[in-house]
Amino acid sequence: MKKIEAVIQPHKLEDVKAALKAIGVDGMTITEVRGHGRQKGHKEIYRGMEYEVDLLPKMKIEMVVSTARSEEVIQTILNSARTGKIGDGKIFIFDVAEAIRIRNDERGEGAL
Amino acid sequence: MWTPDGAREELLRRSGEVDRTVATAFRNIRPPVTVVAVGGYGRQELFPYSDVDLLLLNAAPDETKEQRELISEFLRALWDAGLRVSQSVHTVEDCLELHQGNLELTISLLDHRFLCGDRARHGRLEAELPRFLHRERALLMDRLCRMTRARRAKFAETIYHLEPNVKEHPGALRDLHVIRWLSLLREAPADYIPETAAAFLYSIRIFLHRSAGRDANLLTFDLQEAISADPAVWMREYYRSAREIWRAASQAMEASERRDLGLFSQFRDWRGRVSNSEFTVSRERVLLREPLELERDPEYPIRLMQFLARHNLRLARETESRVAAALGSMWLDRQPSWPSLRALLTLPYAATALRVMHETGLLTRLIPEWSHIDCLVTRDFYHQYTVDEHTLVTLESLEELRDSKDEERQRFRTLLHETAAWETLRLALLLHDMGKGGGTGEHTSESLRLAAAVMERLGVPPGERETVLFLIRHHLGLSGIMNSRDLSDPGTARFMAERIGTVERLRMLTLLTWADISAVNPSAMTPWRLEQLWLTYLAGYDEFTRELHTSRIREPRFSAEVSAFIEGFPTRYLNTHSEDDIRAHYALWSENRAAGLAISIERCEGTWRMTVITGDRPYLLASLSGTLAAFGLNILKAEAFSNSQGIILDTFAFADPHRTLELNASEVDRLRDTVRRAITGRVDVRKLLSGRRKPTITNGAHIPASVAFNNEASETSSLIEIVAVDRPGLLYDMTQVLSSAGLNIEVVLIDTEAHKAMDVFYVTWEGARVPLVRQPEIRKKLLEVCG
Repeated sequence: MKKIEAVIQPHKLEDVKAALKAIGVDGMTITEVRGHGRQKGHKEIYRGMEYEVDLLPKMKIEMVVSTARSEEVIQTILNSARTGKIGDGKIFIFDVAEAIRIRNDERGEGAL
Repeated sequence: MWTPDGAREELLRRSGEVDRTVATAFRNIRPPVTVVAVGGYGRQELFPYSDVDLLLLNAAPDETKEQRELISEFLRALWDAGLRVSQSVHTVEDCLELHQGNLELTISLLDHRFLCGDRARHGRLEAELPRFLHRERALLMDRLCRMTRARRAKFAETIYHLEPNVKEHPGALRDLHVIRWLSLLREAPADYIPETAAAFLYSIRIFLHRSAGRDANLLTFDLQEAISADPAVWMREYYRSAREIWRAASQAMEASERRDLGLFSQFRDWRGRVSNSEFTVSRERVLLREPLELERDPEYPIRLMQFLARHNLRLARETESRVAAALGSMWLDRQPSWPSLRALLTLPYAATALRVMHETGLLTRLIPEWSHIDCLVTRDFYHQYTVDEHTLVTLESLEELRDSKDEERQRFRTLLHETAAWETLRLALLLHDMGKGGGTGEHTSESLRLAAAVMERLGVPPGERETVLFLIRHHLGLSGIMNSRDLSDPGTARFMAERIGTVERLRMLTLLTWADISAVNPSAMTPWRLEQLWLTYLAGYDEFTRELHTSRIREPRFSAEVSAFIEGFPTRYLNTHSEDDIRAHYALWSENRAAGLAISIERCEGTWRMTVITGDRPYLLASLSGTLAAFGLNILKAEAFSNSQGIILDTFAFADPHRTLELNASEVDRLRDTVRRAITGRVDVRKLLSGRRKPTITNGAHIPASVAFNNEASETSSLIEIVAVDRPGLLYDMTQVLSSAGLNIEVVLIDTEAHKAMDVFYVTWEGARVPLVRQPEIRKKLLEVCG
């Protein structure tokens, strides 16, 4: 099983959710986060003052899927989240040791 | 099946049943105690599955083994009979002592009732208890109030829980008990207990117990649906009842706490000094000197509210009753005037006054449409408040922002300080969700319709009405953009600018959105949302300041002559002036075209407006601003535009602090004449100004001056943004610097707020952007004059 963590532009959230739902992925966790990548945010000028914006609002989506499906899910996220501009975000993949359904102690891929 | 009637009888009946069960068990077993009902059972308010609270009075603290056996047998018998007994065993002496760790015992004694056993023993308790309570009442009341406040804090200080706990939540049964207990302890005439509301809650709790078959007190969504086919409507009844109970409990607590002497009460009485000829203040509460005026003078209730809004006070209970009694005969033939309502909305604590108006029914009397959203539930997990409460919280949020000092919200605080039109913002907030009462779904158009009707009735002038309607129309717009648009895309910024129109509107809309989000629930305005909202504001702001220069009017909407006149002015000109204004400008110009110069000076509400239309000439702006400064006039706002034929249109809004123009009619003519001579070069403005002493800045405000050049905002000119401490003659000095440096001022926006001047100049040097090499020297000179 793989955990897929994607940090994306906030305005792309609905597109990504819809695309994932279309391929049958319903379970995910979404958090509002702030951060930046290589570009370290940017300078704004407002009212004559320079203004450092280095913690930009983003959205983080997390989900755990079977290894067999992971490539398909990754492609879906890539396609729906991409705008082609700086700030699109990143996807990280982790190996998952175990998944357990709390309600009935079901384990493994069946719990996903 | 839930039934609203017969709740009290039901509770009495059950209590009687349990009385008989206890008596029977006692007769059979004869435990060596006196059995006393306490707590809810003592009050004869026994719910189907509530605990039965018993106090067993024994003769001496140590019991023999036989005695203990009998007591156990007695209790077992009761359990077997199906009663959930909660008992404590004490001597009478125990009961007459204060046990710090067990004040619950003392409080439960407030409702004691003899059941069976030694009447004399109970008699002793009955005789001694009042004296004991009297001695300890301060501590007990204090403890009760503190416990209640802690309980309320635990439940977010609100009655509006989507699935209320009818026993524990604020406005529910515990609050009801508190009223009774405080009355008993205070030995005062009984506090007001809202009987109908109480009976309503009893009936609900009975239903909850029966449905669950146990002591269950949570009114879940499922149970709400079991009670009514239209739960949202039915729950309004619940919240109305809870609100009454909450208020009564709050008042009872206040009455109990208002007993201290010493420094604190001296401080409180000091507030008495704010009393005036119409209203007195005693112990932080407002009383009326002439209550009959409530019905006679339509402005009197509004003046009362203004008083509250000025000093952040609430009404004494007596005043509340008088207002409630007068409601029916208030405003029958004359409504309060818009200027006085407007004044109310500008005062610092208008939110407090509006809340009082809501609580007393004044608000509904003034604006009947308000009742659509009274206690209206928004049925989702996100909204914590009912719609009316949410509206009041938005208004309170603004004031809270204004008075706050934290770093995170500094930027929004600044925006708020720059807003002059508090009354417009507050009116928009008050009306923005009124359409929600019209069923589910989109509510904006209904809100607009109701708001237009309300404002028409109240006599709000058209200009202001327009702005309020604009704010309501777009009140969801910014959050939409912030969540679903790409803020770095120029298309988004353009989209915003097109729909919003001006920076002032953007600012007000941003603040409205901020308040709206903050009032959804206490944690809705996360740092994340704060940042997104700010970035959204910035995108719009940048677009406006950029578009000034690049986006000029090309599509005429007027007659050919007027169109020719306005062609080439920036679109901002169209956005900030009404069609009447534009036609007036054109008329002014065409009348004076031969002379090549048109000047108009007129009074406009509290300030003055000067419009100058002429061909471009050097030092024009400096001459105008210098002349105004020389007359002691304070420039508040200024805009300078040029069209495609090289005609300059400058408008100044200024204040007349020394009342020079107001008191001397000929001064207006003299001003006009001087302006004419200054522009045509027949008067040296510097000489005019040297006659006036440069005033020292006495307000103590220290605003670090900043000057920033921006060559990216426009392709053809440079943008200079200046922030400085405002003073008379500042504009003159700045424009002097720019003109002396050979710069041509294309577009100017001047704004002032209290002591801060914020100026944006679009300048060119020899027809193009100011080269980087020249910027430091110009910047230095500007900083010098800005102090």
